[in-house]
Amino acid sequence: MERGLYIAASGMLAEMARQDQLANDLANASTPGYKADRVAQRAFGDLLLSDSADGTTVGPLGSGAAIDKQETDLRQQAMRDTGQPLDLAIQGDGYFAIRTAGGVRYTRNGAFTADAKGTLVDQLGNQVLGKNNQPVKVTDGAVDATQVGVFKLANPVKQGDSYFTGTAGGQDSGEVRSGNLEGSGVDPARAMVDLMASMRAMEATQKAITTIDSTLQLTASQVGGLPG
Amino acid sequence: MLEGMYTAAAGMAAQQSRLDAVANDLANASTTGYKRVRMAYRDLAYTAGTIGGTNALRLGAGAAASMIGRDDREGSAQETGDPLDVLIEGRGFMQVKLDGKTWLTRDGHLQVDAQGRLATGDGALVDPPISFPKGTTPDQIAIGADGTVTAAGKKLGQIRLVNVANPAGLDGGADNRFQATSVSGAVSAAPRTTVLRQGMLESSNVDVGDAMADMIDAQRSFELASKAIQVSDQAMEIANGVKR
Repeated sequence: MERGLYIAASGMLAEMARQDQLANDLANASTPGYKADRVAQRAFGDLLLSDSADGTTVGPLGSGAAIDKQETDLRQQAMRDTGQPLDLAIQGDGYFAIRTAGGVRYTRNGAFTADAKGTLVDQLGNQVLGKNNQPVKVTDGAVDATQVGVFKLANPVKQGDSYFTGTAGGQDSGEVRSGNLEGSGVDPARAMVDLMASMRAMEATQKAITTIDSTLQLTASQVGGLPG
Repeated sequence: MLEGMYTAAAGMAAQQSRLDAVANDLANASTTGYKRVRMAYRDLAYTAGTIGGTNALRLGAGAAASMIGRDDREGSAQETGDPLDVLIEGRGFMQVKLDGKTWLTRDGHLQVDAQGRLATGDGALVDPPISFPKGTTPDQIAIGADGTVTAAGKKLGQIRLVNVANPAGLDGGADNRFQATSVSGAVSAAPRTTVLRQGMLESSNVDVGDAMADMIDAQRSFELASKAIQVSDQAMEIANGVKR
């Protein structure tokens, strides 16, 4: 009986984690180059129940759920024309490479600017690498888009600050477009629906807990109680 | 477990900064020589979500906004016919002095102050200073493409045109005046292609249509993040309902 309590509680925790993830997607609904996440739940291992009196098999019993898989939707999103020469977007595959203090990071967020030396930097002031792995020169407030490097990245993992890490793999085929930004990969309608569904699922699990609780209460207070 | 709320709140804060920036741009849609602000957005740190998930689950902490300088494209030229109005064509600024400090401006709405000196609309003197002899009328004043100022055919001085390596890094912006910083690089002479045009002013480069669209987008994104907070709150309420 009390096993059911913990199974239901694990379901609630998984829904809460899903909501945290969706909140992050919604917070980034207009972050250029942001890639939305998808999470998948997995059931814990099933237990095989058997009748303790005669040993016959009753059937499997699930033992709860947890989120164990997260996938980032890396598809290219629609481009938005900004007219700003230092806003860059990649048409096709690949990432911009950024030289940070912690090593080279990759991003598809091309809201760049220039630094005091006239080199192209990202919003945190880190240098953007060109095709030759050298910083890109900004002349008269613009860059030669063909000089900006587009790099291949396998197994990208989000790092925050719009950066990805992964296994670098040389140049990629994408083409850099100046005056554009890639939109956020968040579909607000889908995220809202997911959020609502998750909340209802959580509500249902909570009902399961309270029901089990009432049954336990009856067991504790009424079974064995003498009438009168 | 309350992370979701703070994640969404960070998203709201980022959209709020964006709204503030757009509101300021719109307010300056007809300020001479105004340059619209450029904002950039990014997501925040990711941590493993161990409660309710395994290590494969990585939860983000929301979004942040930062200003990455100004859109330094030229605003459209506006003919005024006033001999003391100048338009800077090309990249660069006029160097002016106020309160002992050197400033850069593209606001070419000049005037002659009480002491007969050439100054900007807010009283900053053109640097190096140019003084007009008493009795000079505005229609005697001629400002050449290279900045040479003459009154009744007599050369009085030259308006200095300067530039910095990275105009996006300039500090200030109040009263259309900027100062060089370590991010913008030192002040140097403007390229030869930068010239002055007398009798014209540079309009603000804010595109009202773009700014309005940006504002609507920001408002909706703000709403989305606020909905996420509401849902997190309801989730907490449900969790609290477990113990009756």
